[in-house]
Amino acid sequence: MTVFDAFATPAGTASPPGTQLIPGTTDGVPLRYPAVGPEWVGALCEDLREARPALADRDAVDLAAVLGRVGERFLDPSDPLRRESLELLPSTAGISPEMALAVLDGMAADWTGARLARLLEIELGEAASLDGFVRFEGRRAMARGPTLCVQVVAGSVPGVGVNALLRSLLVKGPTLLKPGRGDIVLPVLFARALGEADRALAAALAVVYWPGGSAELEDAALDRADVVTAYGSDATVHALRARSPVTARFVGYHHRVSVGVVGRDALNGAGVETTAAEVARSLALFDQRGCVSPQLVYVEEGGERSPGEFAEALAAALDALEGTLPTGPLDVAEAAALHQARGTAELTEAGGGRRILHGGSAAWTVLLESASATAVPSVGRIARVRPLAVLGSLPELLAPLSGHLQTVGVAGLGDRLEAVARGVGRMGASRVVPFTAVPFPPPWWHHDGGGPLVDLVRWVDLEAE
Amino acid sequence: MKARSFAALASELEDRFDAGVRAPWREADFNELAHAAFTLQFERIPAYRTLCERQGRTPKSVSRWHDVPAVPSAAMKALELCAGDAERPEAIFLTSGTTQGSDARGRHLVPRLDLYRRSLLPPFRAHVLAARSRIRFISLIPSPAEQPDSSLSFMVGAAADEHASAVHWLVDGGGRLDLDALRTITRRASHAREPVLLLGTALALLNALERLEDEPLARLAPGSRIMETGGFKGAGREVTRAELYERLADATGVPPVRIVSEYGMTELLSQLYEPVISEGPGAVGTHVPPPWLKVRALDPTTLDELAGGEEGILCFFDLANAGSVCHLLTEDVGSVLNGRVRLAGRAAGAQPRGCSLAMDELMSAAGSS
Repeated sequence: MTVFDAFATPAGTASPPGTQLIPGTTDGVPLRYPAVGPEWVGALCEDLREARPALADRDAVDLAAVLGRVGERFLDPSDPLRRESLELLPSTAGISPEMALAVLDGMAADWTGARLARLLEIELGEAASLDGFVRFEGRRAMARGPTLCVQVVAGSVPGVGVNALLRSLLVKGPTLLKPGRGDIVLPVLFARALGEADRALAAALAVVYWPGGSAELEDAALDRADVVTAYGSDATVHALRARSPVTARFVGYHHRVSVGVVGRDALNGAGVETTAAEVARSLALFDQRGCVSPQLVYVEEGGERSPGEFAEALAAALDALEGTLPTGPLDVAEAAALHQARGTAELTEAGGGRRILHGGSAAWTVLLESASATAVPSVGRIARVRPLAVLGSLPELLAPLSGHLQTVGVAGLGDRLEAVARGVGRMGASRVVPFTAVPFPPPWWHHDGGGPLVDLVRWVDLEAE
Repeated sequence: MKARSFAALASELEDRFDAGVRAPWREADFNELAHAAFTLQFERIPAYRTLCERQGRTPKSVSRWHDVPAVPSAAMKALELCAGDAERPEAIFLTSGTTQGSDARGRHLVPRLDLYRRSLLPPFRAHVLAARSRIRFISLIPSPAEQPDSSLSFMVGAAADEHASAVHWLVDGGGRLDLDALRTITRRASHAREPVLLLGTALALLNALERLEDEPLARLAPGSRIMETGGFKGAGREVTRAELYERLADATGVPPVRIVSEYGMTELLSQLYEPVISEGPGAVGTHVPPPWLKVRALDPTTLDELAGGEEGILCFFDLANAGSVCHLLTEDVGSVLNGRVRLAGRAAGAQPRGCSLAMDELMSAAGSS
């Protein structure tokens, strides 16, 4: 049986003295991570930092082109890298093969040379600002990337780790990426492929998995970083923020919740089925584990079809998706949580409360809720559909989520869209998009409201005598 | 068919419970009482009745207790399930809260505390006291006066009323441990060669151990024992039970085979015990229910009953729950062999993916118009 190494370090750096299997990975492809101490992590960080001068002297545009050439391999059906990705993703990320395909295609579409060049341009005005001083708006300034960017990424959505490492490498920052348990394969494969494509650039990238909460290892990396990015639960991000050096810039992507809004215009005639299918797909992607995945769907009352009818259409659409984009296997704890949620909802429904539709052994569930519904665990694919009488009340309804609100998927709002976007934007949402665009934001999106590259650089001003 | 009154059923059950955990229970006896309890719950709890009717499983159609519709334990957060007088329950026990406070806590309405009292005593006697009739209680579980909404506090209080030569409540309602009193009381008992019973949740015991690191307690006298309950759910602690027991043994002199694990939950009025004192070290890792509590492991996907020893979701039928709902599907994972439970240790930090209790609460708070 083959074993997959959950790490990739630059040629010439010290190999880990030993490895250990990640518990629970023996059902699929066993993964092993380096059995190392803080000294090894520290030495690796020092090696990465030494790769920086060589990057500083290269054109940012050229670096983007190299990264794009590696990224494009993940889209090429004849490339073994893509085949290996698709083979490893299901068991390592806990998703179905169909989902692995959809996720890889969606993610890697943004890893091409053209998309990365456009990202540089949109974020930094011109990419040359990373190579030296450029003049804009009457001043001269240069962008300086990190000396070492340490990134701790969540494992809930595969591909996010590659997005993360592309950002810091694009701004010429040596990068140590610690992927989450479900997102190991793509960053490791990317790092290996980069090693084949460009040794100097690859010398600035290490991907190393270790079990979450290994504070000693994390501290060895954090102590040497001047930019730290952290993706994960509020608790994870909070802990990493507290342990990052004061001199480091900290970019935290904490827990996020996304919602959907379906307006009256999308509830007419046959349109309702189309909308329901789009909503279903937006929440089914990543098995609803993405920060962009809608958890609540507000459906406006007063349309040709009622919120209840929409819930039925959504249930039908989710059921159909189990054929084309099946949910990954649930572990026993997740299954237990799902039965609690469904059983409670069924009893509440019998008592005259919320309505529930679900897929039995398929993991989709639709809850039609009125106000003050009890909490439901997020497991499988759960759509909480809430009737919305007054569109304008949406920001107020979302107020409890404001610190965690991210994407708002929309349909059928017509010329009321901008007013809704203003309202929810002021309440904390950072992205208002059609449901079809929900799962895959473009590389230059304002990620949780910040600039993906801008947040990683420092500016140097130059005023001539 | 007309249901027996709750009072009549409860009296009958109390008599059966009084006969102790080793009294013979034929499957037919259990089934008959289970059917009576189901009939009562079906008639008295409207939401449950509707659910049963929708599933086509009513007292008329169901003859085996296995087929009675099970209610998820989380339902006690959403609904009041009381088959007695819901307006005047004798107690309302609350499940442990989440970070979001009391809104998220389940409520177990108990219409008749005596039924609870008489169900909890026999297994406690059999597995914790074993051959003794009285012993000094040193409780790290707050007293019922301090925590009137805790079913665990009620249980320890009821056991102490019957079997304590003296009882010391050393943890207050705010969870503060009186360490000096713990040292003094254990020292005195130890000098007098008097065995004691130390009771606590795993978390309380661990906290006490941490504060005892500089100076362990006096060696407890032979015959002393410890009852541990509750595990570390949600406490973010990374100590296995074996480690905890070893440290307890080091700190008190009570050998691990005299540390009894109690497994219970607010939603179930009966408890299971690891019968190490009554049966010896071969019982380590298993929990035995009293004869009026049946447990099954169910397939995580289909909820069909699993074969003996296979791991699944634990589902209980507890006759002591006659006043609320007997058939309860939990979130706990384990296997059942010959009627005994082996709980599955959850992998470290294994919260369901994407699951955040705090977020689930926030989403429920986000309104609807």
